[in-house]
This record gives sequence, structure tokens and C-alpha cells, in this order.
Amino acid sequence: MRNVLDKNQDKADDIRQLLKQNQVVMFNFISSPGAGKTSLLELLCENLAPEYNIGIIEGDAYTDRDARRLIKYNLPIIQINTEGGCHLDSNSISGALAEFDLNKLDVVFVENVGNLICPTAFDLGENYCIALTSTTEGDDKPTKYPMLFRKADSIILNKIDLIPYTNFNINSFKADLQKLGVNIPLFEISCMQQAGINNVLDWFKVIIESK
Amino acid sequence: MHEIAIVNHLFEIINEVSKKENLSKISQVNFLLGEMQQIVPEIFRFAFESAAENTIAQNAILNIEIVSIKGQCNSCNKICDVKKVFYCSFCGSKDLNIINGNELIIKSIEGE
Repeated sequence: MRNVLDKNQDKADDIRQLLKQNQVVMFNFISSPGAGKTSLLELLCENLAPEYNIGIIEGDAYTDRDARRLIKYNLPIIQINTEGGCHLDSNSISGALAEFDLNKLDVVFVENVGNLICPTAFDLGENYCIALTSTTEGDDKPTKYPMLFRKADSIILNKIDLIPYTNFNINSFKADLQKLGVNIPLFEISCMQQAGINNVLDWFKVIIESK
Repeated sequence: MHEIAIVNHLFEIINEVSKKENLSKISQVNFLLGEMQQIVPEIFRFAFESAAENTIAQNAILNIEIVSIKGQCNSCNKICDVKKVFYCSFCGSKDLNIINGNELIIKSIEGE
């Protein structure tokens, strides 16, 4: 009997140990492509960088377009291109973390490859996993991707400003989360309109402060 | 699509075991696949067969045993099947500890 992902798990546990030693907290952002991971990171960097030292690991199948959007914050950014791979793993994160001066960081944000299934199978050694979803994707995501929503420590629902133009039903979204037995913070925001972001920022701040 | 990545990890272990046990041919791999993992067995099998070509596992049989999701209730302690709704089917509690369904486990590797 042997778990196929034993090695990934061992490395993820090493990463958590390394983060702990350096008093760094790491967040893993998982969403489908286009849900707004990079927009959310822009908001977080904009608002948290004045107070905390942030490092970013950008996962992308082929490009560095997301990383280039974040260059303006003048933060250490490591790009991981998976060459078509649909997820990051702990090995790639371990390599990326080695390029940071962890002593000088408080937080690492990891933007996973846009995908709601594959990244959930791979523990990156993060301390918190965030499931990001957006109203334009529909309200059925919790039912279709239970593993992500059960793995997550918080859910961020983006693009709430677009609800009037979609058939997204917030009540069925919440009811489906209930059916999964998921009882974690849910933040309803719009990155574009900067709506609802104070609660999200507070959630991050409390975690970073208590690291 | 992570079927391919999982198969790559599986082959790392097959290679490790075959070296350790001095095997020159793998005839069967018995695998436990949890339903929570959202892995498509047909794609997984196809990825396995593709990866096995020209290796000691060529023509090996991949036996996939699907493990359904089961939860143990933290309120009444009973074990129940989980079908879409993650509630205890006995007492209705939402406080379920998932005990089966996350498996990605090699049960055994057979060879000579």
C-alpha cells in the first residue's frame, strides 16, 4: 500500500516546516481561468504591500503575462511555467521558494494554474487555500467541484457587480456549499469595482498578524 | 488532466519498486482510486498504457478499484455513504470526517 503522491506530500510537509521556521505564511489561490486570480492579487498587493513583505509565485501554463501585471508593485516574483501542465506541485514550489530570501518575507501568494480539479490533488505546503470563483461561471461550481470547496479555507466570489447580467443565484450557491458541509468564510467581492474588499483584506491581515 | 501527472508519480514508484525487488517485468498494478479525486478511469488507464510503452510495465494490467466516498459522523459516530450531500445519513449532522474517497493508492505491484 503506497500513496502515489507520497513524495509530493513529503515535500509539502517540508515546505510548511520551512515556512514556519521563517515565520512566513503561504496562500494557494485556486480558480478556473479568468475568475480573477491576478486581479485579486493586484488588490492584495496594492493594499497589503505597504504593511507586509510579500513574495509571489506565479503559476502559468506557458506565459508570464500575469507576472508582468504584478511587476509594478516591485515585489519579488517567481514565474513557474508548467509547459502545459494543469497544476503546480510541491517540487516546483520548493524550487521557487529557494529563490526568495524568506527571512525578509511575511507572506507568499501562490497563483496556481487556472483549473478547478487538478490543483486540488496537490498539496503545495501552503498554510491556507483560497477557492476563488466568479459569478459569470455560474452558481453550480460547489456541486461540480466538491474537492476544491472542501479543501479551501475561504471562498472568494468575484464579479458580484455582474450578477444582474447573469443567471447566478447566490442562494443556490450558498445552499450547495451547505450540502458539501462547507462552513468557511465566504467573501462576495468585485475586484473591478473594488467592492466588498475590506472584509477580505481583514481576513488576510488577521492571519498574517498571527503567524 | 492530472491523470497524466498521477501516472508519472505512479511510474516513479513502479521504477523504484522494480529496482528494489529486482523485477524485470511488471505484470499487474492494483490501484485504489477514490471518487473524490475526480479522476476519469478511462483517461487514467490510457495515460498508464501510454507511459508503459517500451518499459518493463509494457502490457501490464492496470486494475483500478474505485473507492466510493464514505464519511464517519463526528456526532453519532456512524459511517455513511456520501452521495453529493455531505451530511450524515443517520443523524443529519454536517460534521463528517471523510474516511474514504480520497485514495490514490497503489495496493500492490506484481511482477517477476
